[in-house]
Amino acid sequence: MNGELLAFLILSGAAILGGILMINLKKVVHMLLSVVLTFVSLAGIYILLSAEFVAVVQILIYSGAITIILAFGIMLTNHKAQEERSSNRLRAILVGVGVIIFFFTTYAGIKNLYFGTGADSLHIDNTQKIGESIFSHYVIPFELVSIVLLVALMGAVVLTRQREEDDE
Amino acid sequence: MIEFVWLIPTLPLLTFILLTILRDKVNQTGSYMAICLTGMAFILSVLVFIQLIDAGTAVQEWEWITIGSIQISFGTLLNPLNGLMLILVAFISLLIHIYSLGYMERDQRMTTFFAYLSLFTAAMLGLVISPNLLQFYVFWELVGLGSFLLIGFYYYKNSAKNAAQKAFIMTRVGDMGLLIGLILLFWQTGSLQFEAIFSAITGGDVEGSMLTLIAILIFIGAIGKSGQFPLHTWLPDAMEGPTPVSALIHAATMVAAGVYLVAVMYPLYMASTTALMVVTVVGGFTAIYAASIGLVQNDIKQVLAYSTISQLGFMMLAMGTLGYTAGVFHLFTHAFFKALLFLAAGVVIHAIHTQNIKQMGGLHQRLKLTSITFAIGALAISGFPLFSGFFSKEEILSAVWADGQYGLWLVALVAAFLTSLYMFRLYFLVFHGESKQRLDQIGLVPKTMKIPMSILAVFSIFSGFFNTSWFGSYLGDWLIGDNQMLTNTHHGSSIGVMLIASIISIGGIILAYMIYVKKSFDQTSLQSSFSGTYKLLANKFFMDEFYHTSFVKGAKGVGKIFVYVERYGVGFLLAFIREMLTTLSKSGSKTQTGQTQTYAAVAFLGMVLFTAIYILKGGY
Amino acid sequence: MSTLPLQPFLILALILFCMGLFGALTKRNTIIVLVCIELMLNAVNLNLVAFSKYGAQPDITGQVFSLFSITIAAAEVAVGMAILIAWYRNKNSVNIDEVDELKD
Repeated sequence: MNGELLAFLILSGAAILGGILMINLKKVVHMLLSVVLTFVSLAGIYILLSAEFVAVVQILIYSGAITIILAFGIMLTNHKAQEERSSNRLRAILVGVGVIIFFFTTYAGIKNLYFGTGADSLHIDNTQKIGESIFSHYVIPFELVSIVLLVALMGAVVLTRQREEDDE
Repeated sequence: MIEFVWLIPTLPLLTFILLTILRDKVNQTGSYMAICLTGMAFILSVLVFIQLIDAGTAVQEWEWITIGSIQISFGTLLNPLNGLMLILVAFISLLIHIYSLGYMERDQRMTTFFAYLSLFTAAMLGLVISPNLLQFYVFWELVGLGSFLLIGFYYYKNSAKNAAQKAFIMTRVGDMGLLIGLILLFWQTGSLQFEAIFSAITGGDVEGSMLTLIAILIFIGAIGKSGQFPLHTWLPDAMEGPTPVSALIHAATMVAAGVYLVAVMYPLYMASTTALMVVTVVGGFTAIYAASIGLVQNDIKQVLAYSTISQLGFMMLAMGTLGYTAGVFHLFTHAFFKALLFLAAGVVIHAIHTQNIKQMGGLHQRLKLTSITFAIGALAISGFPLFSGFFSKEEILSAVWADGQYGLWLVALVAAFLTSLYMFRLYFLVFHGESKQRLDQIGLVPKTMKIPMSILAVFSIFSGFFNTSWFGSYLGDWLIGDNQMLTNTHHGSSIGVMLIASIISIGGIILAYMIYVKKSFDQTSLQSSFSGTYKLLANKFFMDEFYHTSFVKGAKGVGKIFVYVERYGVGFLLAFIREMLTTLSKSGSKTQTGQTQTYAAVAFLGMVLFTAIYILKGGY
Repeated sequence: MSTLPLQPFLILALILFCMGLFGALTKRNTIIVLVCIELMLNAVNLNLVAFSKYGAQPDITGQVFSLFSITIAAAEVAVGMAILIAWYRNKNSVNIDEVDELKD
């Protein structure tokens, strides 16, 4: 058992544990925090996959920004909210069975997937490579994504702003 | 000229189309236009006829439909019979158009009337020049349509509406026979062209029993159109239409179509003795049957209607006993005097506004011309010597005698006797005796009505001389011509037959005179001593009632059964389907919860189902 | 030099995706539904990165795409949160069962 496998086992175990906790915990804030565990473990997995930059971005955006937004959302709405058991047990059972079937069908698709030993130079100058790729080959998608972000920003502001008539 | 023969039916058709389109714009002008175009059709048919005397036959054909190897053409066929019918129909129609100008003078819907009249004329003109049975059938149905429209012209009268429907339905029964016969014929001979059919029949390509069946089926069509027993009941009811229409139907167009059909298909009947026998018996029976009913009717037009049925029976009788010439000849003369009688009756009705002869009388003083022309018509139809009916009837009697049908010969004699009796009963009751109406109110008869009557009177007297055993049988010789398929069946008429016919005719007239003018016999005592017979005759042998109880009631009974089937069977089924659908859609609408999560779950489960099936089937 | 094969990463992604899917389809709190959708997106990102290393044509493109996808996820959360808050102001609830405006 080498270190890489060990790291993978620990990280993936933490990620799955975060997911299971998220599904089973009662309090909304706890659920959110358990998801953070998953996000962080995934960042570790990214490093295992020679994607340091993505790992850092993952921690920054997911564990940082998105979690904060969601936390604020929880606080702004009903922060004591408890996730009670799904009122529709039948649906939960059906969806559960469906998800399991879905798992096995997809697993049947990926269990024999093999493309080769994989790239071995991705971790060298990882950030530089990403930068070169984004600003040369993917410059138009990059700009478009910036517009999407801008629109999302404006949309969020417009949607959440208190209307004047609401103030009165 | 002969190549323009297609114009003859087209002109009245054009009138119909124009008058229908311009119905609101033209009134008096429209009728003049109709008369002009019909007049042109008549002139054209005269010209064609003159050429035809030399040519004998003329055929024009254009391709119409081609289905596989079967070609159906349309076109015109002229032979002596068709030419004669053409000129006859055009002539009578023209006169009736002119007459209608006076008769319908005060009618609001005069233009419509003329439009229908033109359609009717066009259909009949097209019928008589059809070279194949399909085209014939199309025009045959158009004639039916025309009669329907005209009989029901006073559509606001319930009786007229019913009469129109009755005429349409009764003739439809016959048409079914014709259609089936036509299809069978096509099946057997592979063609609808008259020529091809006749050569197939004379060549012996069709089996004997099949031939008989076809001939009888086609004769059923003729029965329907010509008002033969037992499909005759529509014809008296058709009197609900305006009188010019009755004249047109009875003289030249509708009812003549049936006789014409038998004449056209004559080679078919020649080939089957059974069919000929059927024609003979039906004709003979109808002749005496209708004549006996005509004896006691009190409606002037009803009497004339039954006389038409009776005369048509005579024609069929002649046809059936190989008297082809006699039948066509009688059709020819009958057209004139029957048109004349109806037009004269129209004048009477127009003048005193009733159709009941019990309320008429003494009209001779006021309506002199009408009285004289009616008398001429009555003499002609009775077969008074030297009038046209005399020659044609004598021809028929000789044909029957020569064929050896002595029983039917007697029947024909009795029918002829009855004919003169009821015609003169009508004449004496209407024009002589005491008047029961205020005669001074009767206005002048318009010239447009007088002229056609005078012309027809002349023809009623003299048209018989076209074919007499004294001067020569021009018409008969020409009709038969060199046609191999028709045997020349002109019978050298014996003086005996002629004598008997004359005696019978005059005897009928004298008897009528004795009863209704001299009153040698008391009418009422006659009625009471033969009360059973009288009742039977007055009610037309209860034929209508018979149809009512058998067919109408029967159909109503069947209808009632189906009403119950519909109410409980179909209704229940429908209610079931409706309830099922409502329940289904209600439960379906419950699935529309508006909750996207549920929608997504359902969509996801569907996707899972499909991928699972995909994997189980072997997938990837 | 890596010794791990491709499968473990894909299976991990699959497990996370299934958990996210289950949560998204059954949880009643709208915020948690959003969180579950984030989890599914993360599983997808993991796939992208894994294929970037072990795919048929190993390349940096997979990582670039995962970056784009993270960006879009951030935008989505921002807008989703804004909608949620606006809706909460109207209904005073974040319960997804009460979102049934599509019904009418």
